[in-house]
Order: sequence, then structure tokens, then C-alpha cells
Amino acid sequence: MRKQFASGEGAEVAVIALAFLCLWFVPAFAGDYWQQIGFRALVYLTLAEGWNLMAGSAGLVSLGTSCFVGLGAYVTFGVMNGLDLPLPVALLISAISGAVLASVVSPALFRLRGLYFTVGTLALAELLRLLMINVSAFGGASGIFLKNDPPDLPVLFHFALTVALVASLVVTACTRTRASVIFRAVRDDEDAAAQMGVRAFRVKLAAFALASALAAMAGSVQAVKLGAIEPYGMFGLQWSIDALTMVIIGGVGLRLGPLVGTVFVIALGEALADYPEAHIAIAGLILIVLIRFAPRGAVGLVEGLNSSIRARLA
Amino acid sequence: MPDLGVASSTIASGVLLGGMLGLTALGLSIVLGVMRLVNLAHGELLVFGAYVGLFFLQYSGIDPLLGLPVIALFVAALSVPLYRFLLQPLAKRGSEAQMMTMFGVSIILQNAFVLAFSADTRSIPVGYAALPLILGPITVPLMYLIGFAISVAAILGVHWLVSSTVFGRDLRASAVDAEAATTLGVNVNRVQMLTFALGVACAGIGGVLIGAAFQFGPSSGASYLLNSLAIVVLGGLGNVLGTLVGGITLGALQSIGGLTLGDGYRDLVGMALFLAVLAFRPDGVVGGRGR
Repeated sequence: MRKQFASGEGAEVAVIALAFLCLWFVPAFAGDYWQQIGFRALVYLTLAEGWNLMAGSAGLVSLGTSCFVGLGAYVTFGVMNGLDLPLPVALLISAISGAVLASVVSPALFRLRGLYFTVGTLALAELLRLLMINVSAFGGASGIFLKNDPPDLPVLFHFALTVALVASLVVTACTRTRASVIFRAVRDDEDAAAQMGVRAFRVKLAAFALASALAAMAGSVQAVKLGAIEPYGMFGLQWSIDALTMVIIGGVGLRLGPLVGTVFVIALGEALADYPEAHIAIAGLILIVLIRFAPRGAVGLVEGLNSSIRARLA
Repeated sequence: MPDLGVASSTIASGVLLGGMLGLTALGLSIVLGVMRLVNLAHGELLVFGAYVGLFFLQYSGIDPLLGLPVIALFVAALSVPLYRFLLQPLAKRGSEAQMMTMFGVSIILQNAFVLAFSADTRSIPVGYAALPLILGPITVPLMYLIGFAISVAAILGVHWLVSSTVFGRDLRASAVDAEAATTLGVNVNRVQMLTFALGVACAGIGGVLIGAAFQFGPSSGASYLLNSLAIVVLGGLGNVLGTLVGGITLGALQSIGGLTLGDGYRDLVGMALFLAVLAFRPDGVVGGRGR
């Protein structure tokens, strides 16, 4: 964050592209277990990147990630079952529907600042979940199946990797270019930014819509992997909790925050796989401790240590 | 179309339930008004109150409704360290840090409930819970009316506390402008702590009443949190009596929604109403002037 107009834009894209290329070959030599973990990590990373874009760049703390994950899942199944379109098209349509829903509800959610946005996103997720449970056209409480067999794990892995690539590039575009200045201006002082001629509403909407599109794509690949979806899982609050936890643990507003947070949450989940309740409770505890003592998360902590060591050496 | 008796009974039940929800929402509303904090653990604190009521009955044998003052004090006392050690240190860091902290508390509590009390759905077994009360064509469970009466009494009590006592004056002053209140000698920290305790006590009492009238489980909290938020927005933030009216309105509308669209739509009506109010009348519908 120190370099305001970082020349690192090209370098960052190169790093992301290189990582993408390397990871592409993971299914060639990794077993099922690691592909499963990798798939989940990539889906989570997508959610975390989007959440970080909203919270870190535009100051929007959302508890509605599950709303868009679920939306993406249902739209994908609708498109693939009803229209017989292939997964890439379904992914694209999911992303668009996520952005559209975000735009439609934004006048209500942005009406009152800060807290009400958070609460509104929570209510929106619940509303959509209840709608899916009750409307039989959407499969009701028992959900719907994918008509065709889901693709093999390596193919799914490549889809998840591509979605994560898109997420990373979107975030790079928003944080390494001129757009980042506008985002940050709105986050830090909406009124002052408006005085300077920044249209705060549009900026917030852009962050919200992009993050929602990413969450919908994550939901889309997740749903295809499952092959069957039901409202309790796809609209479960857990998605929102995980997205928020990952970013806060990693570091809100920091470029590497989501990645570090994702690795941490996935590792914690694997370590405590047999004790799901303890796992979530521990995540909650870590959340509280970090908010109190390390508001910039793990990455912020390391950066702080680094600079204090350098200061001492100098 | 259901017949008149069923319809009127359902709506009457909704109104009575709405009163109970109003008390719960009041706890959320005063904390929001004074501390600028959306207490995301409010639902879990309500469920906690219900568990306390359940175990109070099991171990003492005393009717939890008679023991309500004790239960309320107990839950409020537990909220003091919560404020002191988790919320107060974050007071200077803006409302989001506090809100996220309470979110952490909510997921910890939810999973602690599962670990400690299992995921079973329970109910506080008071003998008269199932007794019907028949008034002409209207039949409602007696427990609903008792819960409603206690809730209204508690809401009026809070109203008196806020509007007519020294603490209430300090509370109102802190809600309007904490800095100015400090300058004038109000111990804002203490007021916030007591307000938080009062809010949690409302959730605790509401939890016992709801736990006796309905069933509850470790994950019941979220839906009560959302309903309470809908009521707060409906009644106008910081408007004590508006919260009661908002609760009754929500309860009645939910019943009507359940009657006309099917039972599954009850909560959906609440959420839709919430978002609609947020979009069109963010200052509240009932009071209008709010605080």
C-alpha cells in the first residue's frame, strides 16, 4: 500500500500469470486429495479476493457472500439444465446475474452507510435462501440435480483456477491502476470524495457488483462439482463467514491478505476436519483476537515486523 | 382459503409473537442507538437466555417466568465482561471492529451451544405452555398472551427508564453526541456498558419467553436477529415504543403472509419488508421522527 502508484502493475500480472501456469499442471501429478484441497482453496480465494475488494477498497463490509454464491449455483444449473449450454457460458451468465442482482439491490443497501449495508446483505441472503426453499420451481428444500454428469476433477480444477485467475486480475486492475485512488478516496471519506467530484455511489456499486460477480462464479464451479444443490448449503451463512474470516485473518485491504487468509482457513479446516464445531469456534476466536491486536491481519503483522527490523538495522 | 376462526387466531398469534419480538428488538435498538453497534450476537444471546431459562427450571424447579428478574440480571451480568474486554478496547476504532467482534462472538456461541447442549431442538417445558385461550372465534396458546404481556411490561419499563430517569437522560445524551455528553460530565463508558447490559437483558428475557412459547436450538439465533433488525428499522431507531408497534406490525404481517402464501413464507415476508423499508423509509415507518 505504500507505493501509491505502484509501477508493479506489470510485475504483478506477470506473477499471477506465472502462478496460473504452474498451477495448471497440478492435476498432472497431484492426487485426488490435493486436487480437492486445491479446488476448494481456489474457490475460497475467489471469494476472498472479491470480499477484500469490497471491504478493503470501498469500505463495504458484506455478510451476503452466500447470497451470490447461491445465486451463481442456481443460475448455472438453470442454464445448463434448461438451455443445455456449456459450463463456460453458464459461468459468464452467473457472473452477469451476480452483478445485476448487486446493482438492483444497491439503492436499498447503500441508502444508509456502513452498518446497514452489512445488515442488508445478511437479510438479502436470507431472503433468497427462503425463496429457494419455498418456491418449488427452484427445487424447493430438496434442491436440484445437474442433468449431465459433472466434469472430472482435473477439468473442474482448471475451471476453478481460471475463475481465481479472473478474480486476481480484476483485483489487480482495481488496485494497481488509477481506479485504486478513487476506491480509496471513497472508503476513507465518502463526503470529501464526493466534493472532489467522485461519484461515490458508482464507485461502491462497481466494487459490490464485481465482488458479487466473482462470488457467483465461485458458486457456479462449486455447484457443478457437487452435481446437486440445495438451498441450505448453497445459501448457507458459512460462505459469508468464511469469506470475511479469510480476509480479516489475512489482512483487509492488503494485496496478499486474501491469499494468506485462504491458505490459513483451508489449513485450519483440514487440521480440525473431524471437529467442525470446534473449527468454526476457533475461527471466531482468531477473528476476535486479530481484530483487537492485529487489525491489518497476518500480512500486516509481518509487514510491521519487517519494517521495524529494517528500521533497527538501518 | 382458511376459515375466519383460523385466520383470526393466526393473526392474533402473530400479534402476540410480535410483541415478544418487539422486546428482543428493543435490546438491539438501544445498543445500536447508543453504541452505534449492530450486535450480531444478539440472536445467540437470546438463545442463551432460553438455555438459561431451561436449566433454571431444571435445577431449581421454579417457573422461569417467575425467575425472569434473576435470569435477566444473570445474563446482563455476564454481558459486562463481554463489553469490558471485547467492546470497550475497540471503542476508538469505529463501529465495524466492534460489529465484527460480536460476529466472532456469535459464531463461537453458536458452536459452543452445539458442543455443550447438542444440536437438539428444545423448549422450556412450562405446564401451561400448551393451554389454549379461547376468546370467541380466536384461539391462541395461553403462553403467547403471557409472553406478550410480560414483553409489553418490560418495554414500558425500559421506556420509563430511558425517558424519566437520570440514567435515561445520560443514555439519551450519549446517543445524540457522545463527545458532547462527555464534556458535560456524563460517564459515556459507563452508560455504554449499562446500555449493553440492558440490551442483553432484553434479549435474555425475550429468549426465555420465546423458548417457552416455541422451540429453540443452537442455530435459532440468526432468524431472531434478522427479525429484530426488521423491527428496529420498521419502528425507527431509538424509538422505544415504536419498536413495540414495529414488532406487532411485523408479527401480524408475517401471519398474514403465512396464511395467504403458505407457512414457509412467514420469515420471507419479514426479510422482504426489511429490505423494502430500508429502501424506501430508512428512518422508520411507525414513528417517522425516530430519535
